[in-house]
Amino acid sequence: MLAYLLIRMFRWATGLLLIMFLTYTMMYYGAGDPVRRMFLDQSNINVDAITLERIREQYGLNDPLLQQFWNYLNRLVHGDLGISIREQRPVADMVWAALPISLQLGAAATVISTLFGVPLGVLAALRHNRRTDFTIVGLVVISNAVPVFVTGPLLMLLLVVVLDLMAVPWGWHGLLSTKTILPVVVLVLGPLPIIVRQTRAAVLEVTHEEYIRTARAKGLPGSQVVMRHMLRPVLTPVVTSIGLVLVTLINGAVFVEFIFGIPGFGGLALAGLQQVDYPVIMATVVIGALIVMVGNFLVDLLYPLLDPRITERR
Amino acid sequence: MAAAEFPLEVQKLQSDTRPKSRSLLRDAMRRLVKNRLSLAGLMVVCLFLFAAVFGPLLAPHDFLAQEIRSALQPPSSEYWLGTDALGRDIFSRLLYGARTAAVVAFTTTLVSLLIGITVGLVSGYLGPRIDASLMWLTDVTMSMPGILLAMLVNTSLKYPFTSWFDDMYEETRNPFFLNTWWLDFVLVFGALALISWPVYARLIRGQVFSIGESMYVEAARASGAGTRRIMVYHLIPNATGPVIVAVTQGMGAAILLESSLSFLGIGIQPPNASWGSMLSDSLALWRSAPHLLAAPSITIAVISIAFIYLGDGLNDALNPRQ
Repeated sequence: MLAYLLIRMFRWATGLLLIMFLTYTMMYYGAGDPVRRMFLDQSNINVDAITLERIREQYGLNDPLLQQFWNYLNRLVHGDLGISIREQRPVADMVWAALPISLQLGAAATVISTLFGVPLGVLAALRHNRRTDFTIVGLVVISNAVPVFVTGPLLMLLLVVVLDLMAVPWGWHGLLSTKTILPVVVLVLGPLPIIVRQTRAAVLEVTHEEYIRTARAKGLPGSQVVMRHMLRPVLTPVVTSIGLVLVTLINGAVFVEFIFGIPGFGGLALAGLQQVDYPVIMATVVIGALIVMVGNFLVDLLYPLLDPRITERR
Repeated sequence: MAAAEFPLEVQKLQSDTRPKSRSLLRDAMRRLVKNRLSLAGLMVVCLFLFAAVFGPLLAPHDFLAQEIRSALQPPSSEYWLGTDALGRDIFSRLLYGARTAAVVAFTTTLVSLLIGITVGLVSGYLGPRIDASLMWLTDVTMSMPGILLAMLVNTSLKYPFTSWFDDMYEETRNPFFLNTWWLDFVLVFGALALISWPVYARLIRGQVFSIGESMYVEAARASGAGTRRIMVYHLIPNATGPVIVAVTQGMGAAILLESSLSFLGIGIQPPNASWGSMLSDSLALWRSAPHLLAAPSITIAVISIAFIYLGDGLNDALNPRQ
């Protein structure tokens, strides 16, 4: 068990390190000279070449790539994410302001998509190859195929202009505000298809198991069979798709926060990339990767508890 | 002669159940056409490819022509889908956008398929140690939020490329280095291929293992066939079906990814037309001119759904045993 956990942890930790190194390398070669950017391109301050060189030396920008990466890791461990070129303030502060908003949105979307996704998946599997099944699967396919930046504006058109049901949802007014409904609904469309599909497949797999037949044969009502005997094996694939769900949530956050003007993590990442603000880019990529990797590690942690056969097999 | 022994219905039945040709393609085509949703998907995809190839000939207006006096017009007989804020014809821009989407879809899928095939084959054939490390790389790439990675690659490659082009122009004075509109495409290809290859790598590796353990390959190996013979005569023909399905779905996904990048203002830049940037351009005007928003978003949705249903139909048609 311990060996299994250590191997898994090593796997995701090295993965995170690889992503950080690749991002740093890309920024190192791709973002151009940060000192030049800071003074000449952004603020139009006229600085002579010797001063530029001294600043470069002072911040260790003349060190080789590996040395700089090592320094970056050291600062990262101490919670220092650097200073934004655009905003001239610590990136850590910006992240602390933005991340809670996105975490709330993401948590709400996860809860809602589980609450709707699992019953829908069970229903589709119980009505396998009948009209209900086709409808649910069709809706899942459509919500999977149509990107967030299409559903968002179209829903806005429908609800605000055509049906005139709500005011324009714009900005962040707290999780319980009515203006948060539409962003959460659009965000839910990312993980919902995954959860429905996983649940449906898992239920279909167990419907022909002998213990289900036994449960039915001894006269248990249908709802009891589902609640007691089917949902337990369904738990495993749904929990193990956490990693995938997190990826769709982060991807979705970028678009949802852009469309609805929410100052969250996705918006921060997008702004950083559009303005080539490389400390912000580094920070958002690292934190995004960290969230997903921790999610994946948690899945690995939960997996043997849900399905004890796993550690023996690997 | 034998026909006379059976009543007419049975004869008919016999001729129906015995098709003249049993090639994979014809069988697959028959099964595909039977499924109505997939047939609709196929038709939409064909229409899309037709628009991509012949779009400039079909377009009623130049997609760049700005007629400021007729800006923001609703759909009319002259401008079939209306005009945008600069007075450009939306229908013509959609047609040119189809060309962008098709080019990106084909190239990205091809490049990521090549990477995926290489990684998958190496993983499947060169032993468990290399397999484990390559699958680690695949897992890590897959677990990275795709849009962040694509944006990162696109932005960080852009600066060195453009500055290198500037330098080259300074040196050679060759006008080739001034015109960099196609650079956006190359960057988008690179960024998208870099995030799409893991799907193909996993698929190919899975095929190598499942086909490699099958009875017929074992039989071939027992009768002395080498790795190359098994690859050419057994692996490639049997893996073709799943790969075609994955490619179809991958092309749909590539179109979506391209329009997402352009939507965020990072992919294909103006003056090139892209559905994603058309959408983000009209986002500011969504209240006063909703038709601007509706045209590209409905197009993206329809094409994407069409590719998914076509992929599903192909899956049933090409892999009937699943």
